[in-house]
Amino acid sequence: MIELQDIHKVYEKKKSEVHALKGINLKIDKGDIFGVIGYSGAGKSTLVRLVNYLERPTKGDVIVDGKYLAKQSAKALRQIKKEIGMIFQHFNLLESKTIFQNVAMPLILSKRSKQEIKQRVTELLDFVGLKDKASHYPNELSGGQKQRVGIARALASNPKILLCDEATSALDPQTTQSILDLLKRVNEKYGITILLITHEMSVIQKICNKVAVMEQGEIIEQGSVLEVFGHPKHKTTKNFVQTVVKTELPEKIKQRLTDKGIDRLLKLEMVGTEAMPPILVQLIRDDQIQITIEFMDMTEIQDTNLAIWYLHFDGEESKREKVIANLEQHGVRIEEVSVGV
Amino acid sequence: MFETNITLQQFLDGIQDTLYMVGMSLLVGTIIGAILGIILVVTQRGGIIPVPILYAVLNPIINLIRSVPFIILIVAIMPFTRQLVGTAIGTTAAIVPLIIYITPFIARLVENSLLEVGSGIIEAAESMGATPLQIIRYFLLPEAFGSLILSLTTATISLIGATAMAGAVGGGGIGDIAIIYGYQRYDNFAMISTVIILVIFVQVIQSTGNKLARLIRRS
Repeated sequence: MIELQDIHKVYEKKKSEVHALKGINLKIDKGDIFGVIGYSGAGKSTLVRLVNYLERPTKGDVIVDGKYLAKQSAKALRQIKKEIGMIFQHFNLLESKTIFQNVAMPLILSKRSKQEIKQRVTELLDFVGLKDKASHYPNELSGGQKQRVGIARALASNPKILLCDEATSALDPQTTQSILDLLKRVNEKYGITILLITHEMSVIQKICNKVAVMEQGEIIEQGSVLEVFGHPKHKTTKNFVQTVVKTELPEKIKQRLTDKGIDRLLKLEMVGTEAMPPILVQLIRDDQIQITIEFMDMTEIQDTNLAIWYLHFDGEESKREKVIANLEQHGVRIEEVSVGV
Repeated sequence: MFETNITLQQFLDGIQDTLYMVGMSLLVGTIIGAILGIILVVTQRGGIIPVPILYAVLNPIINLIRSVPFIILIVAIMPFTRQLVGTAIGTTAAIVPLIIYITPFIARLVENSLLEVGSGIIEAAESMGATPLQIIRYFLLPEAFGSLILSLTTATISLIGATAMAGAVGGGGIGDIAIIYGYQRYDNFAMISTVIILVIFVQVIQSTGNKLARLIRRS
């Protein structure tokens, strides 16, 4: 649906050049909720603006729905933009217009009939839960309500893609949750592909199926959310993942283990709905293995869970190999780790 | 102290002349000034139709005209005024320098008002695939409307001040009465009453402008 091929973006300042994007490659499939995460200044704002050509790449190709944006005329480009909705951190609503008029704007620009506009806007306001606010002005609404208007406006022209530029960064956690729920409904009900950028890992965790991590103009890691959350490779990724999933042992536990003279642990990781893999229960019961669970964490990601255990194996070494093989066979990822304070 | 040589009719004529001069030059100045102001905003670097060369030419011209004091402008363009309206003297003739005086001023005010519209609004408009003209019509102008009203209020008040100087070319109006009767003939009544009338004018215009702007901005 969206493809970025070897994108470079250089801003010419008076005496220096700023290399905002350095060889970005990205492919977003239809129906994805694709999250791009990074600290400020990583280049994610520039990246999201490439997709609707608010920013043009210095080098490289942007392909949206099979069309090379660089090859489009100004008119064709405007037409493509109508198929891409966008919402913003600061909403960017017209303060001088009512909520109805704000949502109607894309339709007015496309010169639709009054009747069609009324029908579509009413339907959208109903969808975002602001039917009773049609005649209000933006400054009478809360931040969350304003973003709902933004979403309704972005959906007005029936886009195939929705771009979210830090859409929840100005909102409190509770409001963020309700906006994320709404975005998920947009994705499911209308089949709209969503590309969102954020600096909050919890946003990615709650609604994305794929994620890319950006740092200094480059994508340092990308993959399915479960994959990246379970096995972050890069340091920055680990930092982000740590904000929502406890994949590492807490310092205090490390200290306690070291004091007890324990260094080697088994790190188990499983995706699923159970808190403990049935196979582990079976092993304990039937094979009489002795384990101590030193730490465990379970995080809800999308519709499933990512569970992590740190076990200490007390039994004989001969059983150890068998247990590991058995667990691996049942889809549990196992890693030997050293506590090493 | 209240002996005066001036009749009520003269006052009424003066008020009428002032309103005529202010009204006409405001109308023409606003139309041309608004167009110039819009051009200044959209053609500058980073604008929605960047034409840096046009901006580079227009910008200093506007500065140049604005730097000429009005009383000098009146005299300097007399030949041009004569060509345009057939005479360089009288109320109608005074409108020509008034327009030339106020147009660049309004252009600058309109430019400032439009620049107040956040870049986010323009970005939202562009993301909807709006044409440059649609951006001006549906986004820039409506969002800046309250500020534009205040700008025009400022321009109107400047114009009232300028019309007083139009007396120099026999322009007539309230200011003219103040200078000819109040100042040159020591007619204190004429002086005080013209000042009062001008103060009332300015107050009414300013508070109307403020009220309108507040209504539009809905704050």
